[in-house]
Amino acid sequence: MRFQSQKVAYWFFATCMLLLSLQIVYGFIMGFARIGMDGLHDYIPFNTARATHTNLLVVWLLTGFMGAAYYIIPEESDRELYSVKLAYIQLISWVVVGVVAIVGFHFNWWEGRKFLEIPRPLDYLVVVNVLTFLFNIAMTIWEAKKRSTTQLVLFFGLLCAALLYLPGMIYFDNQTLDSYFRWWVVHLWVEGVWELIMGGILAFLLIKLTGVDREVIEKWLYVVVGLTFLSGILGTGHHYYWIGTPKYWLMVGGIFSALEPLAFLGMAIWALNMYRKKGKDHPNKIALYWTLGSAMMSFIGAGFLGFAHTWPAVNQWTHGTLVTAMHGHLAFWGAYAMLVLAVISYAMPNMTGRKLFTGMSGYLAFWASNIGMLGMTGALAVAGITQVYLERKLGMDFLVVQKEIIFHFYGMLLAATLFTIGITYFIVDFIRHGLPSNEALGKNVGDLD
Amino acid sequence: MLSKSQARAFFLGGTFLFSAIFVFLTIDSVRQNDTRTNAQNLTEDVLKGKEIWEKNNCMGCHTLLGEGAYYAPDLTKVVERRGVSWIDVFLDDPQAMFPGERKMVKYNFTKEEKGQVIAFLDWVGKIDANGWPPKPNIPVDSIATAVPSQTTANVVKVAQPEKFSQLCVACHAVGGKGGNVGPALDHVGSKFDADYLNRWLIDPQAIKPGTNMPKLPLSDTERKDIVTYLSALK
Repeated sequence: MRFQSQKVAYWFFATCMLLLSLQIVYGFIMGFARIGMDGLHDYIPFNTARATHTNLLVVWLLTGFMGAAYYIIPEESDRELYSVKLAYIQLISWVVVGVVAIVGFHFNWWEGRKFLEIPRPLDYLVVVNVLTFLFNIAMTIWEAKKRSTTQLVLFFGLLCAALLYLPGMIYFDNQTLDSYFRWWVVHLWVEGVWELIMGGILAFLLIKLTGVDREVIEKWLYVVVGLTFLSGILGTGHHYYWIGTPKYWLMVGGIFSALEPLAFLGMAIWALNMYRKKGKDHPNKIALYWTLGSAMMSFIGAGFLGFAHTWPAVNQWTHGTLVTAMHGHLAFWGAYAMLVLAVISYAMPNMTGRKLFTGMSGYLAFWASNIGMLGMTGALAVAGITQVYLERKLGMDFLVVQKEIIFHFYGMLLAATLFTIGITYFIVDFIRHGLPSNEALGKNVGDLD
Repeated sequence: MLSKSQARAFFLGGTFLFSAIFVFLTIDSVRQNDTRTNAQNLTEDVLKGKEIWEKNNCMGCHTLLGEGAYYAPDLTKVVERRGVSWIDVFLDDPQAMFPGERKMVKYNFTKEEKGQVIAFLDWVGKIDANGWPPKPNIPVDSIATAVPSQTTANVVKVAQPEKFSQLCVACHAVGGKGGNVGPALDHVGSKFDADYLNRWLIDPQAIKPGTNMPKLPLSDTERKDIVTYLSALK
């Protein structure tokens, strides 16, 4: 850690850990409901658990991005954060809004639009909050001693993410238009500007961990995020096949979705090549595992598994089945969850001065959670493909088919248990690091740049 | 090899070009929207129905136009599939209609609210969704030819009453078609006489306490027609 104000990132990361734990709890509630153990139905019906599970994911990832930005931007700008106090105010209000939203879900208070369930009044608070965050980051960059591509890409990504939240706040009478503009937020976030944020964070980590020349890494950063937008913007079309929009979206969405894996492939090749070119080994191997792992898993989960069912002729059968849930799990895990965990793994030793990455538990966390997540994806894949055949191709009744695939949810729960063990190791390590200390100021553990 | 400024030009140029195309296609999609979604049929009831749909986060379990949570059936074509009267009965007590199955929250909608939800779903079902959902395209017969069907109904002289096809088939099968929550009714006429069937339909609980069969809202004529039909299933 070079600057004292970077310490604020710790509290964002700690919030991440808490929200991730809660997200897993709600995941289990849904998993058990699917095998018929829905004893909580009267208190937490499936729609509550579902809204909580997905919104917690969004909130903890955004919290992680904010923490990452608070850690990275001072270092890239070579100065302290514009205002530490503002950062704390922003975190606290962010958590308050999040908690109110989650509690509200349990009392039937929500907007009822998939992924954007947060009620409208809270939406306004989110906007104010994110503007505060962006102001703080922008002022830091504005008064920075140096400019870097990584810094600007990261900021541009965060800014676009904030702007693209707005179309989700317009009310439409018409379900088709409602859905159309909801995807402006959801798709253009996860398959657009979040990838920009991902690219920025990845570039920072690669610079620190591999020691490859900044100019080389940042050049390829432009190429990778260029590919992302080239494919991702019109790739939104794969959500527009069957919701009442014109037929040309089948062609536009099909072609550009087919290109989307290229962006992720680019990301994976980029990361691996930079690793290959490294000068010497960085001691924090675990951070490197998560960084390279994220680049590769995002290609498998977001790129390949997305590609597997966005072609219109395939999608007409898989649309709205568990195949989507299968893709969603590995995509979010690989692209964003692993990346946030990578930043945390890199930043914690720097902030606290404790080199816990030498132990075994970091590796256990990495492998158990990854194998667990692959297992969950596999279980959902088999369940999803079976569902497509029985329900869609043969025309069997929905509930009959659901009984046929119960077995795979036992598998999913087992894999989820392994995943949880991995995450538990991660969180225990996080806690063992302790609080950031001023003694760790001025030195980064083993950085190669 | 590519220089950094060329890479930046690729990023900025690509982003600008494809954003522009996207905005252009969006304008055209919005322009065509009224026709494709029959916006003229967006009555007060439909809009109220959409509000109820969102207020209760129905998409947290159900799927609509293929978007949702995959925990409960896709409701895009539900009005066409189940019919208004079935949905009307179902919403009163979802669990009574699918006992021991996946649970749905009992919302205690008023008669009016139920009508609004149904109006909304009916409107959604008529959106031009480019032919989605597709009809099943693997004929079950082609797989099952080797196995003699056990549920082939005898030739029934009495036509199936309308209410039967609206309500009863959700749980019971006749001739292999229908739900499997309740027993198949292919030979029910030889097991029970008309009087018993009649009493059963009036109040299932009175005949067999604890049964999962709900008491259905049937008029005398409707009940009589169903009993006549069931008695013919021998």
